[in-house]
Amino acid sequence: MTIIITYTIFFLGIVMLVAAAGAALGYLWGPNNDRLLRLAARATFAGAVCLFITSWLRLLAWHVVPVMSGADSLNLFVMLVAITAFAVCAKPRRQALLSFYLPPLALIALLCAMLAVQEFRQPPAEKEFSRLFLVIHVSMAFLAYALFFVASMTSAAYAFQARRLKNRQTTGLFQKLPSLENLDHTLFRLIKIGYPLFAITLVLGLLYAWKTPDPLSSTWWLSPKILLSLVMVLLYGGSYHARALGLLRGPKLAYLVFGGFTVLLVTYLVMVVLQVTNYNFYGTA
Amino acid sequence: MSVAVTGVSHKTCPVELRERLAFPADKLPEALGRLHRLFPEGGCVILSTCNRVEIYLRSGQTAEAMHEAIRQFLADYHQVPQEEFTPHLYEFANREAVAHLFKVSCSLDSMVVGEGEILGQVHDAYFTAHAESATDKVLSALFQRAFKVAKEVRTKSNIGAGKVSVASVAVDLAVSIFTELAGKTAMIIGSGETGETALRHLVARGIGKIIIVNRTLEKAQELAAEFHGEALPLSQLQEHLHRADILISSTSAPTAILKAADFQNALKRRDRAPVFAIDIAVPRDIEPDVNSVDNVYLYDIDALQQVADQNLEARRAEIARCLKIVDAQVDRFVEWRQSLYAEPTIVSMAQELHLIRERELKKTLDSLPDLTQKQRDEVEYLTKRIVNNILQRPMSQIKQEVIREDPHRVLHLVKRLFGLEESAG
Repeated sequence: MTIIITYTIFFLGIVMLVAAAGAALGYLWGPNNDRLLRLAARATFAGAVCLFITSWLRLLAWHVVPVMSGADSLNLFVMLVAITAFAVCAKPRRQALLSFYLPPLALIALLCAMLAVQEFRQPPAEKEFSRLFLVIHVSMAFLAYALFFVASMTSAAYAFQARRLKNRQTTGLFQKLPSLENLDHTLFRLIKIGYPLFAITLVLGLLYAWKTPDPLSSTWWLSPKILLSLVMVLLYGGSYHARALGLLRGPKLAYLVFGGFTVLLVTYLVMVVLQVTNYNFYGTA
Repeated sequence: MSVAVTGVSHKTCPVELRERLAFPADKLPEALGRLHRLFPEGGCVILSTCNRVEIYLRSGQTAEAMHEAIRQFLADYHQVPQEEFTPHLYEFANREAVAHLFKVSCSLDSMVVGEGEILGQVHDAYFTAHAESATDKVLSALFQRAFKVAKEVRTKSNIGAGKVSVASVAVDLAVSIFTELAGKTAMIIGSGETGETALRHLVARGIGKIIIVNRTLEKAQELAAEFHGEALPLSQLQEHLHRADILISSTSAPTAILKAADFQNALKRRDRAPVFAIDIAVPRDIEPDVNSVDNVYLYDIDALQQVADQNLEARRAEIARCLKIVDAQVDRFVEWRQSLYAEPTIVSMAQELHLIRERELKKTLDSLPDLTQKQRDEVEYLTKRIVNNILQRPMSQIKQEVIREDPHRVLHLVKRLFGLEESAG
């Protein structure tokens, strides 16, 4: 019974997010209809709530921490991105950004659904996640990833707007998206929260690995994820400090932030290609 | 019961003739009074703007008779011979007249498609006529529906998106960079007319601070006093360039006065916050390669015109979508108007049934003298409910049938069924 309820709520959440993406795209390509955006925002929130309940049901019924499998970790990621996107777009002026956030998120949500069909039925692999410290460490990392995801989509919107403005193509999508200044502030705020959070997460992870060599191998730091995470923290740290000091702003900052997200994607793909299934993987997929 | 419109617009009539046929705002009530006296059983609205003069009329006469009467009225009122303006007139009746008003209200017939001013003018025209008691039920419903259609068209299409005049395009672009202009500084170099117009637009949108830079400090001070701004001589331009979020340049200098390096230096001093530079001078004041500097968005007069043209083109592309909405709404209005034919018959039918009800109720109540007042009221309420429930279905069916079928045949049948031949009109 519990598995049926879990599946129902989970898939309802996925459907909500896909519908939200559809509404947001409808706004982007169709006429100026704010109702579609409001609908997208509500569906995003509802979807996030469903995925949150799914995580809790998985935890309570099967003692599955949200990061123990590919589906669970993606579920957590999608939920956190949806909440972040909803929070960023709370102001009507920024709601059009949902059109940039939701379509890629819906794709990830669908990937998550595909994995969940298999993985939610299987017993979770035994992992070290029973330790509260690691759960906090991984959850913080996921929150930072969610913030970076939203930041990169915001930077894509910034780059798009700046390019259109330079090329004097100011009809269509240009008129629907927020102003450059608004995008810049949003971007900076997201990095301002995401970067320290990720840096703290990394430091905590390093401390944990250093203090408890067993069961991690002695070459844990050679893990591609650790190395790429260091690159990522450098990129986001660089972006944050450069923007705060007024050294970098505008399209170049947007490209850098988007680059940071590309590193996150590469990290994930490398982990999948190399089939790394140790503690440094996001799940068991 | 026809609705007719006769008028001239920028599409059909030269401005010299339009201005002779126009109704000044202060003369409008008197003109409406004169026109309404010709059709006391109906209503009239006069829409007179710089681009069109139109008279909407509703009366029991035929459309041809109404058009003829309007032509005569225009000739008499303005003392212009009919032969002079008749070739420039357009005349629509009933469905076409409704469609025309909807298109005018939605700004689909305007010189600048999608401009918002016309809706306010139609609004004013209607309310002036309404205040003079020159409108009737159908004309009021027609104009109220026109306002709703215009709102729907604006919501469901991009017909009003993007500005189409150079000065307002400049302000729109500034807003697309800065969101709020309240905390921003606009710097105006030179004292060109377009620059001043753009400045007025910026002031209207709440620009925070204004700096006027001119070769002659006195001229700058003069303009600065008008806009409560700060005046600077041109020699101090480089020193203060970093303060400008929006820069409007319109000097008569023979060569460029600002180069990419100037902006690069200014950007460093303003933490690379974006700058919107508008160069409306000919020859140009700002070197074109400034646009390649990151965070500087340079628009010269041609670029602004290009944006205005793009916006206008985008609006034109929306016309087909708008016309679909207009057509659907015209159908709905025409159907509603047709259903009005049934109204007198429906009223008579209801009166007839209520008369029967009251007669039978009286008989019953007279035979039951022991009933309390409360019980009598209850019985009366019950009979009313029964009759109203019986009436509900035939009433809605009759309204639908007069839209679908020949209204005279339908109403004749209803009158015969309920014995209304004598009472219903």
